[in-house]
Amino acid sequence: MRNEYIPRPAIIKSIKIETPDTKTYRVIFKDKIFARHFNYKPGQFIQVSILGIGECPISIASSPTQGRFLEFTVRAAGRLTRLIHQLNAGDRIYIRGPYGNPFPLNRAKNKDLYFIAGGIGLPPLRGVIVSALKKRANFGKIRILYGAKTPDELCFRDELDSWNRAPDTEVLLTVDKPDKNWKGNVGVVTTLWNKTNMNNSSGIAFVCGPPIMFKFVVDKLLASGFKDKNIYLTLERYMKCGIGKCGHCNIGEKFVCTDGPVFDYHSIKELPVKERVIF
Amino acid sequence: MKSHLLRKDMIKELCLSVSAKWELYLPIEDLAGEIQFTRLNKRDKILIDRIRLDYKYLTIPPKVIVFPQLESLFEFRGTKIIETLKPRHKKILFGIHPCDAKGILFMNNFFKRDFKDIYYLNRALDTLLIVVGCNNPLDTCFCSSVKTGPFLTYSGDKEAADFDLQLTDLGKQYLVEIGSKRGEEFISIYAKFFTKASRGDVILARAIKHNAEKSININIDIKEVIKRFCEDDIPQHIYDRIAQRCIYCGGCLYVCPTCSCFNIFDEKIDKYGKRYRNWDACVFEGYTRQASGYNPRKEKGIRAARRYEHKLKYDYLTMGKSGCVGCGRCLVSCPVNIGMSQVIQEVLSA
Repeated sequence: MRNEYIPRPAIIKSIKIETPDTKTYRVIFKDKIFARHFNYKPGQFIQVSILGIGECPISIASSPTQGRFLEFTVRAAGRLTRLIHQLNAGDRIYIRGPYGNPFPLNRAKNKDLYFIAGGIGLPPLRGVIVSALKKRANFGKIRILYGAKTPDELCFRDELDSWNRAPDTEVLLTVDKPDKNWKGNVGVVTTLWNKTNMNNSSGIAFVCGPPIMFKFVVDKLLASGFKDKNIYLTLERYMKCGIGKCGHCNIGEKFVCTDGPVFDYHSIKELPVKERVIF
Repeated sequence: MKSHLLRKDMIKELCLSVSAKWELYLPIEDLAGEIQFTRLNKRDKILIDRIRLDYKYLTIPPKVIVFPQLESLFEFRGTKIIETLKPRHKKILFGIHPCDAKGILFMNNFFKRDFKDIYYLNRALDTLLIVVGCNNPLDTCFCSSVKTGPFLTYSGDKEAADFDLQLTDLGKQYLVEIGSKRGEEFISIYAKFFTKASRGDVILARAIKHNAEKSININIDIKEVIKRFCEDDIPQHIYDRIAQRCIYCGGCLYVCPTCSCFNIFDEKIDKYGKRYRNWDACVFEGYTRQASGYNPRKEKGIRAARRYEHKLKYDYLTMGKSGCVGCGRCLVSCPVNIGMSQVIQEVLSA
């Protein structure tokens, strides 16, 4: 029996500032043997901790195709994440995992892929996007629809352009409140439906964003012909253990940490309405 | 299966003998008059006189022995992690009531499924359950409705037993039934304390069990209840009404033999610290509150729904049985007089 609660030390190799309150960390496990056996898939999450402060679940933002490091994006929201933001390259951080189920990219072979993200919802999708682009020929067209409150709050801005340049791949951006330099679309992410053909009865959609966004996006996808089993959402809940024991992330009889965090819309519809998975 | 007899005046000697080899826990009355499952150390001459196998009620369920309210997951000094996990070791819960034994078995299955929780399992898996059935159940008990008491029945399979040994109080002695291989081994190791039971003893025990079951006042059709919870959407106004009375102290969950939710937190002084886990309760407002401030179960009524539907619907869907063992502790401990049996009746009569 493995002791799941012991985190492993990792060293921060680099830190990238994404937005005023969001940073992406690239880390490598100190123990090389452990690092070699740390196999993950995009969509899974890790428990990140600073000893003496606490632990929190964070989505993995990298793809294993990138190399033997892990990347994750952290928004300074609470006590622990604010302290993570004070760490520097070379500092030590503790990690256990990976936990949860991934986005089923293997189900999407030869299909058109649609990524729809809001704000800090892009990092959990970023690993899948990178994996899909690495094997570009395996998929049909790729559309990435990404919205944020302001242009400053778009994550991975340096990568959006290169994704857009991949064959038959389109990145569509929108913001709620433009600044002087913004030339793109203004409005919530569903307003991007006017900018590209979204009708697709066999496409696979991967969605991540604030709960309020889910309902509008899912309605739009269904209206565009997407099957409910082809719409994947990744849910967020307060979590402590990550292994289906502590109870904090339960929704109905499901645990977001072990049954999710990636759920297809078909199974989300079965969850109790009062749990407000989708507004 | 052959049953045995254990004379009550042999209990002390048996316990002293067992305590020399095992980690032995018994219902022991402390100096304040409160009975709790307490470790009887080797040849402890003081506690041995305070064993109360005939207790009626324990405020804190014996789950606390396998799932302590607070436990350290590991320690750290600077950047070095020091593991504190204790290896598996044999222990005995002597005198556990049937409902509490069923509660521990329920938690065993929960902590075993999917990812294994090694802290819990190391404590629980080698624990011998020596059950004492309840001759006189309390007014708040409804174990017979959920088939967790007042006595357990031998499952017919020694590998999948609900108890290792079960004692029935016959007055001056206990009838001892064997439920498992481990129980059988125990009897053979301590054979000198046991005698063979006569047919008359077995018949007497059967009558006692029958009377105990008949004396239970609360009768619930649990199949119907589970069906109701699983098939219907219980109207939210029922939970809202409960929520108006509930003061959200979490007491009912702390004393519940099957509640296993926990929180994890760190404590640090200078470079030295520990990561702990402690009991948590789903009725607390902060239980689902995220760092962003978003809280999917902010309203009290939604949390009340979670608390009862978890036991009567979700536990059934995932574990195949009711998560309520009918011990009545939630009702007894509640400052505002809400309990599972009452909630069930409110739901059924709605």
